[in-house]
Amino acid sequence: MSASADVRAVLSEKSLVQRLSSGTRGTVRALLRNKAGFLGFLGVMFFIILTTLGPLVIPYEGDPRLDRLRPGARSLFAPPSVEHPLGLDVKGRDVLSHIVHGGGPLILTALEAGILTTIVAVALGAAAGLLGGFIDQIISAASNFILTIPQFPLLLVLATIVTFDNRLGMALLLAVLNWPTLMRAVRAQVMSLKSRDYVEAAFALDLGLWHITTREVLPNMISYIVVNMIFTIRSAMYFIIALMFLGLVPLTEPDWGMMIFIGKQQGSLSNPEAAWMLLAPVLAIALFQLSLVLFTRSLEEVFNPRLRQGV
Amino acid sequence: MRKLIRSYTFRTVVQGLITIWAVMTFTFFLIRLMPGNPAQIKIDEYVDRYGMSEDQARQQVATLFNYDPDQPVFEQYVDYLSDLVRFDLGRSLTSTETPVAEQILRFLPWTLFSVGLALLVAFSLGVLVGLAMAYWRGGLLDNVMTVFASVIYAIPDYIIALLLIMVAGVQLKLIPVGELYGGSTQGIEPGFTVEYILDLLKHAFLPVFTYVLATIGGWMLTMKSSTISTLGEDYITVARARGLPERRLLTAYVGRNAMLPLMTRLAISIGFVVGGSAIIETLFLYPGLGRNLVLAIGLRDYTTMQGIFLVIAISVVVSNILADLLYGWLDPRVRLGGDKGTE
Amino acid sequence: MADGSVVLSVEDISITYTTQRGIVQAVSNVSFDLHAGETLALIGESGCGKSTIVLGLIGLLPKTGKITTGKVTYRRRDGRLIDVLGLNKEQMRQFLWNECSMVFQGALNSLNPVLKISSMIYDTARAHGMRADEAKKRALSLFEKVRLDPLRVFNSYPHELSGGMRQRVLLATALLLRPQVVIMDEPTTAVDILTQRSIIKVLKQLREELNFSVIFISHDLAVAAEIADTVATMYAGEIIEKGPVSEVFYRPRHAYTLGLLEAAPRLSTGAEELMSIPGSPPDLIDPPKGCKFHMRCRFVTDECKTTKPPLQASSPT
Ligand SMILES: Nc1ncnc2c1ncn2[C@@H]1O[C@H](COP(=O)(O)OP(=O)(O)O)[C@@H](O)[C@H]1O
Ligand SMILES: [Mg+2]
Repeated sequence: MSASADVRAVLSEKSLVQRLSSGTRGTVRALLRNKAGFLGFLGVMFFIILTTLGPLVIPYEGDPRLDRLRPGARSLFAPPSVEHPLGLDVKGRDVLSHIVHGGGPLILTALEAGILTTIVAVALGAAAGLLGGFIDQIISAASNFILTIPQFPLLLVLATIVTFDNRLGMALLLAVLNWPTLMRAVRAQVMSLKSRDYVEAAFALDLGLWHITTREVLPNMISYIVVNMIFTIRSAMYFIIALMFLGLVPLTEPDWGMMIFIGKQQGSLSNPEAAWMLLAPVLAIALFQLSLVLFTRSLEEVFNPRLRQGV
Repeated sequence: MRKLIRSYTFRTVVQGLITIWAVMTFTFFLIRLMPGNPAQIKIDEYVDRYGMSEDQARQQVATLFNYDPDQPVFEQYVDYLSDLVRFDLGRSLTSTETPVAEQILRFLPWTLFSVGLALLVAFSLGVLVGLAMAYWRGGLLDNVMTVFASVIYAIPDYIIALLLIMVAGVQLKLIPVGELYGGSTQGIEPGFTVEYILDLLKHAFLPVFTYVLATIGGWMLTMKSSTISTLGEDYITVARARGLPERRLLTAYVGRNAMLPLMTRLAISIGFVVGGSAIIETLFLYPGLGRNLVLAIGLRDYTTMQGIFLVIAISVVVSNILADLLYGWLDPRVRLGGDKGTE
Repeated sequence: MADGSVVLSVEDISITYTTQRGIVQAVSNVSFDLHAGETLALIGESGCGKSTIVLGLIGLLPKTGKITTGKVTYRRRDGRLIDVLGLNKEQMRQFLWNECSMVFQGALNSLNPVLKISSMIYDTARAHGMRADEAKKRALSLFEKVRLDPLRVFNSYPHELSGGMRQRVLLATALLLRPQVVIMDEPTTAVDILTQRSIIKVLKQLREELNFSVIFISHDLAVAAEIADTVATMYAGEIIEKGPVSEVFYRPRHAYTLGLLEAAPRLSTGAEELMSIPGSPPDLIDPPKGCKFHMRCRFVTDECKTTKPPLQASSPT
């Protein structure tokens, strides 16, 4: 079999986008097949709708509402009621409004971190694998080094150096810490593809790095990449909240992490009345993280054709 | 052969030392890039808290510790290195001149004790349950535990800790959270007494329970999938055909092979003990190294931070070597000195 | 079991697998007798149900597999008859290896990688109440018989042995407890031709010395012809033809056997004109009526589509 025939065969294969869109119904079915995964999908959807459409309906309460102090009460805290389904916080503000408005920035930052990490990792992995040699050595050494240092202590230090007037700074920082795992996988995939005839032929035909990466590497790994991205989003969120929790990043309201930080600062951890102010963001974070992890199961079915056909 | 082993060990040690040095150097300069410096933070504190003038405060601080912010960073680095080769980690910049080594020795045992205990409990329980889940796959235990493990695995450790405090502690009053903060009850004489040990365990309960909950799901799921793939191996069917009793099959044939990939992970996670404990220790006011690191970062206590990062780097390197050794010991196919020994 | 020399009698056994696509009729109404000292070769294309039968015999079918009909009777040395399918778990555990042992196909993966060969021998012996020192003595002498360096092999880990050595270890282990029946599922498939020849040679010798019966599964006719007394041809879960090796190989009566013989590389002629049977085996979830081979048969008649026509002698060309 000649190499150029192979290249032609590969080129005539449907592109990734075509392949994905061609089976919308199949995608939906794959999404539904895994019950836990579908639950995760619903959870993620719920939080996305809550944090994008919610703010349009529920106004944000930023200022203290001393007027809500009930006669005889020692604090502004209040349990859930009809007007305030999640109760009032330490300053008498509606907890629900903070949940609705405080998820967006967090999720967006985590999402940006996930996307940035993926781009950086794929780019570096493809470069290391395709170019090899010195570049490969540098990239691999850097990834080994980052994997050696436990992420959290490093992040603690880095977070004080990089100032976060914008989300992108934080996302970039998280990308710097998170790229090595995916980079290694991409690099390994490129290496194994490179040894195949048709990729050599593609090189010979001068189809270029870009072509090989987008046509050969990515479609083969799409399931892995997407799942990895979800996990990166998850860990980014974990780290952002952890930093807020320790008071190590500039604090801005509204934000789920801030809700916990303020709650903790106000000693409400030991105050039964304050439960709602803390429990609401804690549950929101727990459920969102859980949804993300469960969602990856469905994604695996959607993207992995073998899983899709089999059983 | 002997030469080979020696050179392998030698190479591993040299590689480890280089890694430690690289991490040390990297963090040294990184730390000094942080905005503010320990002197300035102390000065600000005096100004804020005692209403001193800037100059007064500066003088006061200068008498307190001998950090000169104007010394070139590279000179500091050379000084630090030359001290380090004499195993001198310097003195803490903020805790009135306590040697850093002493500080580390004071805090590290707490972290090692709590995280080590948790690791042991989570790993052994997780492996046993995971094995059982795979062995009776599809049964009640499997179904219940898979849901439990997936949920618990997905929830961040500090969220688990907060839920523990709020729900089990404050709302349901199941756990006397207030009494359990800290490392031990004040006034109890440290020593090898039943009373003291029970007190230690009591105070370690919250962090240990949190670590266990946060990690056990992962161990269970990994062990389950590893066991399932082991159960599909030919040698299991063959052993069964030889009429081996189930107990022997489950331990020496299924369990031991399924555990191989987990042992490496176990050893590696030992390396992340110190770094992973910062938030939980802060939350439970547990006097470990992680909490100490957070405090040191806040105060820009360069030498203390540097010392803790060194401990972190060493534990990562050592645990990686440990993982190698352990794997070789458990899996005869990669045993040192074998044909694959140098890989 | 009328004949006193029959060790293992299989009557009308059927086995199904439950899958997502439906019920696979992997074995249908198979019967055969195995006599003392006899070697029965089960031959047929891959997927025709050979492994399923023997796994059914020793109670090691996967959970999805089920024996739907049939009876398996085993005659112990003391003359007592055992209803094999009626054994409970513990009785089956004791039956295995004491009375009936097995050599599996994948020699490379048949040994626990983390245990030494000695541990495997001791494990097996202990499971059946044989003393350790006796087990060692017996294992060493068997290793000698299969032409292994006994002590070295005894103290080795599996990865230190070659594929052929491992297959011999398995063969020796199968004889550890002096079983009457040894089942071999494609024991020579995974090894190279030279190893294959030497294993066959060793097996023949052992059979002579130790006098056990063998069920020898293979899709390699040359190997089967060399070692078997009796041959049973399987197709789509059925035994379609059975007889002494000379009859089946020189005067096959079923078109499928004939096809197999023609497809086999003939050592004598140098294997030039390799014919294979056109088509592929039928779907066992929805097996065809009549003779299951009729779609691929060159002698097909209308009758074949509804009934199984009687076998007729032919001679291979
Ligand atoms: N675990 C199983 N589940 C479902 N079908 C199976 C299973 N094992 C074997 N089969 C089917 O049963 C038939 C017989 O298989 P097998 O006994 O392995 O054949 P052979 O050993 O002759 O190659 C095949 O059609 C195979 O697809
Ligand atoms: Mg088979």
